[in-house]
Parts: sequence; structure tokens; C-alpha cells
Amino acid sequence: MIDHFALSQAFSLLFTSFEPWLWVIPGLLIGLVFGSIPGLQISMAMAVFLPVTFGMDFLQAMLFLTAIFTGGAYGGGVTAILMNIPGSSSSIATAFDGYPMARQGKHNEALGLGLAASVVGAFVGYILLLLLIDPLAALVLKIGPMEMVVVVLWGLTLIATLNDSSLAKGLLAGFFGLMLSQIGMSTTGVMRTTVGNPHLLDGIPVVPAMIGIFAASELLRLRGNTYLVQDEAQRDISLGRILKGVSQTFRYPSVLVRGSLIGAVIGAIPGVGSSVANLVSYGEAKRTSETSETFGKGAPEGVIAAESANSSSEGGSMTALLALGIPGGAATAVLLAAFSFHNIIGGPSFIRNQTDVVYSIILGNLGQVVLLAVIGLLMLRVLGLVVRVPLAYLVPSVLAMCAWGGYGITGTIAGPLTVAGFAGLGWLMRRNDYPVAATVIGLLLGRMMEGELVRTLQISNGQPLNYLLERPIALALFVFMLLVLVGAPLFKTLRQRRDDRAGT
Amino acid sequence: MTTRFPATHAALLGIVLAISGFILWSAVSASTSLDNLVVVAPVAAVLGVLLLVVIAGALRGSASEDVKSGAGSDLLLLAGFSAFCFALTHIGFDVATFVFVWAGVVMSGGRGLWQPPLFAALFTVLLVKGFGSLFPYPMLTLVL
Repeated sequence: MIDHFALSQAFSLLFTSFEPWLWVIPGLLIGLVFGSIPGLQISMAMAVFLPVTFGMDFLQAMLFLTAIFTGGAYGGGVTAILMNIPGSSSSIATAFDGYPMARQGKHNEALGLGLAASVVGAFVGYILLLLLIDPLAALVLKIGPMEMVVVVLWGLTLIATLNDSSLAKGLLAGFFGLMLSQIGMSTTGVMRTTVGNPHLLDGIPVVPAMIGIFAASELLRLRGNTYLVQDEAQRDISLGRILKGVSQTFRYPSVLVRGSLIGAVIGAIPGVGSSVANLVSYGEAKRTSETSETFGKGAPEGVIAAESANSSSEGGSMTALLALGIPGGAATAVLLAAFSFHNIIGGPSFIRNQTDVVYSIILGNLGQVVLLAVIGLLMLRVLGLVVRVPLAYLVPSVLAMCAWGGYGITGTIAGPLTVAGFAGLGWLMRRNDYPVAATVIGLLLGRMMEGELVRTLQISNGQPLNYLLERPIALALFVFMLLVLVGAPLFKTLRQRRDDRAGT
Repeated sequence: MTTRFPATHAALLGIVLAISGFILWSAVSASTSLDNLVVVAPVAAVLGVLLLVVIAGALRGSASEDVKSGAGSDLLLLAGFSAFCFALTHIGFDVATFVFVWAGVVMSGGRGLWQPPLFAALFTVLLVKGFGSLFPYPMLTLVL
């Protein structure tokens, strides 16, 4: 599986001089900053700093850009934990349990959990990439719209588990999100609900909507309090407690490994990636947990599942880029631009002829993960200070940043107005005990779902079920999903009944 | 105070119904092909059933749901936030941010005569010179 000669050459490329590593720490810091500010995207950071790489050699450029990618993936989780503001769609599930932990005064532990899970997840993702780049590339080529439909369906099933008090309210919130995703031009070019507004042609911008419904509505709810963490004694930033969170991560090895594997595999699917991976991983952690009732109220497993999956998906997303030359998302598209600037074309010939460079990129990323652990620990002490800011000052400031973030995404008035509209919707939903996350998931996955369904219908000539039987990967995924969603809870209930009967 | 159906809940369900109904109508008017309605139609059907279930559940349930207080001030800040979002590209990012943050701090309980405007001014400068300089788009400002 590994070309040992190329591997030794990769080591010498990376470690004979310090040059490839010069830009790694600045890259990680840039990623952390861009990832943690709502509205500044990782892909935006990579695009802004792309021209800087023109003076670098290829390996140095790759390490710099992937360092931004790695730092950004973790940075999004920091604000999700501290302020319930996911920096990007890949951190949505981190907020589910990270933020309740922060409100309980366990922000140090939550940040430690997130950091350790991110580091382990990214490590697993890149190790898998190193060992399995060829088979993974072959797998990616076999994935078509039908397989994507199954994966997106899997992500959507999380909607049903988000509200324990009322299933109907959770489903209503999720289906409303799906409905909202249908605004704009359809996959086949039909105009729907645009009311003549050109800003709606591409549908509702998801990130501004997410900022509004999560952050702005939560900030409005917080106004009655004086600080994010009410108990003054809990408001400290303690390295010891962050490290306690780090060690706590390893008490849940199955959640950590499962999250990392889910992230790596789903991350490899172009166009799906980390947005779905963190949701699927969170959903699976909740379903299989012995203490599933604690999820959403500050369960450490929830943070671990979400962060390990979104970080490992980075390694997965590199599969398609390196092995096939296909960018799976916006961030890898910027990497592809750097490839082309250095006259390198990703794909089978790149892997075959320049294996040492491919290995260098992967090994360099493994090194970055170790550096992320150190930089992350140092930065957390600064980022965590937000819990000491009085809410009277924090709420209007972050609200203003939310609106700016909306503009940063769209570049038009549509962004801030989407933030405002969804802030109102989120306020109404939270007030009446509807899970706002379900609406975001519906909005995020609805578009993806429609595109893949239409393609499946076209390919299958209107016979999707017959087509499913001809697609072994889709069929296996579908059966596995049914087993996990229906079989496992059924088995659990039967076992509990048997235990109860044996007890009486 | 208790009620079976708080006004905010009725407003939310009304918004869901109105927007979903409009999207369905618009999609069906645009094209009735399967490709166009493959998600809209089934989602609208399930949403209709869910709305009925939620309304029936709320009406049948005991009148024990507390009406949460503070809606008035929340709505005021929300209205202010919406006006701020609209004003960003109309009167300038700097002035709109300064006024909103100042008013927001005062409304949220910030004390002192000079601290809120000073904070708002410093925050605005930081945002315009820091955050704003990273935007790849032109940004309207009035003063800075």
C-alpha cells in the first residue's frame, strides 16, 4: 500500500530544511482567526492568501494553504462552543453540546474536548489518506448521485433526534428548512419563489441564514443575563481544565474513532464533505450512546463526535483532489488553483509520477496536526476570554459582527438582511421550543438532496428503486443506514424488555 | 400568565404556513414536472400534516405553558437590528455600526454616560480597519 522509497524521499523533502515549515504556524493562526469569526470562511482565507504562495515552492505553498484549512476547521468549533455561533456549516453539531457545556461553566473542558477530538480526527483522516489513497480514489469514482442521496438522507435523519420534548416540532422545523431550500432556481433551471429578486436566484444563502438563526437569536435570548457564564468562580480560563478536557476525550475511544472514520469517508465524497460528516457523526453518537438523553444538554460525546468528524473530513476531501484532481469543496478548489499555478495536475498520473510529493503533503499535514495541538492550546487562553466580557457589551458587538459576516459572504445587502430575517425566525422558534438546528440542516441539505435526486431520476430513467439494486455501494449504505436507524434501536428495546422481565 | 396558544407560537406557525404555501404555489406554477417538484411536493405534504399535529397538540394540551416575558424589549432590539442591517449599505458601515452598538449597549444595560459611545467608537474603528479590510467586496463608509 505504501511506496517505501517515495516515503523516505518525502521525509527528506520535509526535514532536510526548515523551509517547508516556515509558513505553517502563520497558516494555522490565519485559519483559526478566519474560522472563528462568523462570516469569514476558510475558503475565503485561502483565496485571500493564495497570491502569497506564488513566491513559494509547491510543497511550501501546499503546507501553508492546508495549515489555513486545518486551523480553520478547528476555529469554527471554538465560537460554536463559546457563543453558539458555528464558524461554518461543518461546526453546526459542535454547538449542540459544546455551548450548553460553556453555559454550565465547563467552557474550558469543552474547548479541550474539541481540540483533542480535532487533532485526533485530523490525524486519523490523514493516516487513512496515506494508507488508502488508491482504494479511496477508486471508491470516490464509484460514487454517483444515488450514493449521495443515501448519504444526504442519513444526514437528514438527525432532524428527528434534535428535539426530545416534541418529535413533531423537531420534524416541522427540519421540513420547514427543506422547504426554504427550494427557493431559487431549481437544478433543472426552473425559477421558483424568486419574486423577481435577483438575490434569490441562488436560493437563500446558507451561512448568513445559519448565523442569523443560531447566533443572533441566541444573543437576543441572552440579554437578561450579565455574563455568558453566570457563576463568577467558573469564569476563569484554566489551562489545567482545558487539559482535563483533552484527557476526557480519550475516555470515549469508540466515539472518537467512529467520528474520525465517518468524517474521513464522507469527507472523501465530493460536494458533501464536512457539512454532512459532523451531523452524521453526531447523530450516530447520540443513537448509540447509553446516555443519549444527555445529548443537547452538554454531553462530552457530542462535542467529540462532531469535532473528530469535521477534522477528519479534511483528509478525506484531499483524496479526490490528490488522486483524481477533483475539488470536493471551495477550500480544495483553492488548493487546485495553487496546483495549477505550480503547473501540477492532480490525478492518477500525479500520484504515480510524484508519489514523494504526495506523501510529503500528507506527512506535512500530520505535522501540522501536532502543531495545531500546541497553537490551539495557546490560542484557547485568548479566545476563551470572551466569557469575561459583560453581555451588555458582547451582545450588540457580536450582533454587529453577525451582520458584517452576512455581508462578507454575499457582498450584497442580501447577506445582512438574511441574517436579520433568520434572527427573527430563530427568536420565534427558540421561544416556542423548536430546534433551530433542524431548520439549518434542512436548508443545508435540501438543495443537495434535490440535485442528487434529479440526477438519479434522470440516470435511472425514472426507476430509482431498480437503479438502487444495481448500485452495490448505495445498496450497502442504504441497508446499513436502515440497520443503524431501525435495527439498533429495536434490538436495544428488545434487550431492555428482556432484562426487565428477567429482573421481575 | 398561562395560555394554550401563545401569540408568538401562532405567529411562527402562520409564517411557516404562509411561506411554505407560497413556495409550493410558486413551484407548481413554474412547472409541474417531476424534476421540479421532487422535493417540494412531498415536503409540503408532510409539513401540512405536521402543522395540523402541532396545532392539535397545542390546542388539546393543558393550559400550563408559561408565556415568557421580555418579548417587547427583544422585539425592539430585533427591529433595531433589522434597521441596522438595512442601513449598512445605505448610510455606511461605520456610522450604522457605531449607532447600533451604542444603542445596543444602552438597551442591554450598559451603564455610564461616556463608556457606551467610547466602546462603540473603538469597536467600529476596529471592525472597519480589521474585519472590513479582509472583505473582497467594496464597503460603503461615511466617515472612516
